[in-house]
Amino acid sequence: MVVLENVVKTYRRRRGDVKALSDINLRIEKGEFVVVCGPSGSGKTTLLMTIAAMLRPTGGSVCVEQNNLYTMSIRDRAKFRAENVGFVFQMFHLVPYLNIIENVALAGGVASQSGGAVKANELLKRLGLAERAFHRPSELSAGEKQRAAIARALFNRPKIILADEPTGNLDPDNAASVIGYLSEFHHSGGTVVLATHGTEAEQFADRIIHLHNGSIDNSG
Amino acid sequence: MTISNLIFKEIIHRKINFILGLLAVVTAVALFVAFVTTGQAYRRETRRVMRDMGQNLRIIPKETSIDKFWSDGFSEHTMPEEYVHRFASLEGFSYTHLTATLQKKVVWRDMNIILTGILPEVLPLDKRQQKPMTFSVKPGTVYVGFEVAHGLDIKERGVVDILGRTFTVIKCLSRTGSSDDIRVYGHLHDIQSILNLEGKINEIKALECLCLIEDENDKRSMLAIAQEQLAQILPEAKVVLVQGIAEVRQKQRAAMEGYLAFLMPVILAVCGAWVGVLAMVNVRDRQQEIGIMRALGYGSGRIMLLFLAKAAIIGLLGAAAGFFTGTALALNFGPGIFKVTAKAIKPEYVWLAWSLIVAPVFTAVSSFIPAMIAITYDPAVTLREE
Repeated sequence: MVVLENVVKTYRRRRGDVKALSDINLRIEKGEFVVVCGPSGSGKTTLLMTIAAMLRPTGGSVCVEQNNLYTMSIRDRAKFRAENVGFVFQMFHLVPYLNIIENVALAGGVASQSGGAVKANELLKRLGLAERAFHRPSELSAGEKQRAAIARALFNRPKIILADEPTGNLDPDNAASVIGYLSEFHHSGGTVVLATHGTEAEQFADRIIHLHNGSIDNSG
Repeated sequence: MTISNLIFKEIIHRKINFILGLLAVVTAVALFVAFVTTGQAYRRETRRVMRDMGQNLRIIPKETSIDKFWSDGFSEHTMPEEYVHRFASLEGFSYTHLTATLQKKVVWRDMNIILTGILPEVLPLDKRQQKPMTFSVKPGTVYVGFEVAHGLDIKERGVVDILGRTFTVIKCLSRTGSSDDIRVYGHLHDIQSILNLEGKINEIKALECLCLIEDENDKRSMLAIAQEQLAQILPEAKVVLVQGIAEVRQKQRAAMEGYLAFLMPVILAVCGAWVGVLAMVNVRDRQQEIGIMRALGYGSGRIMLLFLAKAAIIGLLGAAAGFFTGTALALNFGPGIFKVTAKAIKPEYVWLAWSLIVAPVFTAVSSFIPAMIAITYDPAVTLREE
């Protein structure tokens, strides 16, 4: 379960402060598929990063699985992320010098799992990338890269997947495929928070939240 | 996926950055090794050149009047020959190449000559491995100075009678343009015998090798040090330091040490900055990679380790390659520069060990600030950037 209470995030800039999140109160139940909609600059990414224990809010509290994230030490937050959160980004963010199987296994940490490659291979098979396991990211199509990123996000069996515009660089078929995998994770009991400015994920969502200028728009 | 695997794959991926970093370390280590290797040769050569300039210390009987000494060129007083052995039996002093002499002006075949008896060079106990720097004369033989040989028509292998004793002429010396041209050199004991001065000498010549003084903070004058040391050994003698030779010797050494002391920090600073800048470029190139690692739960320690371990690998490989490059440079170019001691230029393997220890630490220190910057990158910012 994710609980945000009075969360405020202000970026300090030379030309003045920018309020990215403004008094956000949000509760996401375990196993829920939530789509966060809104135009660019509405605060979707900031919201996801805050839930991910990666971006300390200026005010308010963020609790995930009953852990008050920003009272934890940096080390504990990193451990929390590794064990509970999976990420999928618009730009994939695969490490360019590792092949796909290594990119996926990277989520297991260095020198931590001897069976990492086997587990990564199983995930790649599930996502239809078995034949691409030893290819570099530069040799893959955008859709394949995003599927590899999903495999990486699933590697640690996270409780929650945070997907930031995961279909932003994909054609409709690949976008549908990616949403399908996230939906599959949701049906297996996982929580998904997906930020998008499109509408392709709405049919899978349990709930749609509209963000506008850093605030949840309850009007719609 | 081990951390070393990750480092090696990144190195292969960003070859140029790695090669440039390696080049910086190879350059620093190679120049350092080339300098120290040829520097050893330089020291040996300096020592050799200085040695060729002759002994710079003259130990004479205490009662000698200095004005007379300089006008005659030697002391008119004598001291026991045993002094030279007493002098040589002590360890830890900075004197070496001790030569006991007995000199006296005599008229021989209507010619003023300086009859000079020389005892084969005596080396102190702790310097017995050194090679003699002066010639020695065997009993029953003489070396004849240029003017004497020329004026009296003396030939090598000839036999001469000096004050009632017969000697074989081993060598007629070439012209020196000094009082040596009117000397006749014989074995000390032969000369003592013909002068009726058995067991007597009037001078011990020595080389004051200040390089042997270990306390570099000792700022006293060379003469003061020499006198203090001598007072402990031979209270019945006094010492005259030939300042010209001594000063040249000291200046020569100081010049070389000053040169290296200036050059090496400059080389190290430039190469350190070079490695640091490359590490910074590497950190900047890897912002998103660092971001994703942080998002995946990698702690600061591991991320820092990625950069510092890579720097250490560069240091280690650079040290090995730099040592062999520097040694090759020294072996190739050193003999052309240091002709006298060319054969003495050899690999100084102790610097390989030191390079392998110091260079990785040096590169890791140079990369420390970039690594610190890497761990302060906010993943929320870097992952959001497209």
